[in-house]
Amino acid sequence: MKRFDCMTRLGERLSDELVILSLGASVDEWYNAAPHMREASLFQQQLGCVTPEAFGLAVGLPHRRIVSLDTDGGMMFNLGILATLGNEKPANLLVVIWDNECYQSIGGPPTHTASGTVDLAAIARGAGIKQAHTARDLETFDRLCAEGLAASEPFVIVAKVTGAVAPKLKRKHSDGREDKYIFVRHVERTEDIVIMGPSEHN
Amino acid sequence: MKKTAVDAVIRGLKAAGVSVVCYLPDSLFKELYPALDADPDIRTIRVTNEGEGAAICGGVFLSGKRAALVMENSGLRASVEPLARMGLGAGIPVVMLMSYRGDIGENNWWAVPHGITMEPVLQALRIPYSVQRREEDIERAITDAFELAYSSYYHTAVALSGSIVR
Repeated sequence: MKRFDCMTRLGERLSDELVILSLGASVDEWYNAAPHMREASLFQQQLGCVTPEAFGLAVGLPHRRIVSLDTDGGMMFNLGILATLGNEKPANLLVVIWDNECYQSIGGPPTHTASGTVDLAAIARGAGIKQAHTARDLETFDRLCAEGLAASEPFVIVAKVTGAVAPKLKRKHSDGREDKYIFVRHVERTEDIVIMGPSEHN
Repeated sequence: MKKTAVDAVIRGLKAAGVSVVCYLPDSLFKELYPALDADPDIRTIRVTNEGEGAAICGGVFLSGKRAALVMENSGLRASVEPLARMGLGAGIPVVMLMSYRGDIGENNWWAVPHGITMEPVLQALRIPYSVQRREEDIERAITDAFELAYSSYYHTAVALSGSIVR
């Protein structure tokens, strides 16, 4: 199963959701697989922070569906967030873990899931997230996305994908700071709120 | 902490517009955590480590709500990676309120490293902070920390010490 194909299927299901995603090649893949979601996606750069940030967003916007596009390496950097989600039970958070069993962005050395002994969905279920599933084919992934986007409890999809990156992608040119402004202005416009407002004096 | 100091912290958080608090409990703020849990205007989220709490606070910022990360100052060390990435890399601010373990008056050997490392770590990350030792200064220190965090879109911190926590 290719990550880009999964992203294309997921993207077709999204319109007014907000997305936070991890670093590496998945950034350019998402940028191309779901171009209509570019402003609604925050491209974040750190292992262990993607799902916690998505959860914080879900807490602040409980009426809005939030999608976390995390990775095997990122989730294993902070497994504790699964326990926090198990207890807090956000009703509007879908977590997709792209499990390519390697640290792809630095050339592909294996993560702990490569051995076949570490099962992230089982860890999530053990943390109290009842809806935690593994997808190994595109049809299963697509069905789980439909269920997860309609769920009223935290929903985790571990997507077993190959380490290959889609070729000839249009590169994203913005850095983390510009990405934040684009995302925040999108949230402000779609929620009719002020997040980064004016100073006392200009 | 005395009840009056707990009340001052909660007054400061509310005056700053905080509606979400992420915390990992510690002993010096022992009385603060149940008071936060009991407050109907504040949603508390218990986290597994302070770095996770920092990232959740960053996500709350992106929603337009206001969050604070409450912890012992040792939690600052656990938070350095997400703070550096979010703050220096993206300009996503986190406001921290921490108990000052290892300050003058510390009576635990294991807390001494917290005192040695807190201010240098804050300075390494270029995080503006204040250390408060008088109860009457707590509320203003918290609202000031939020003012600067939302002008700079960078982290700020308040450390509570002295008779406030001992």
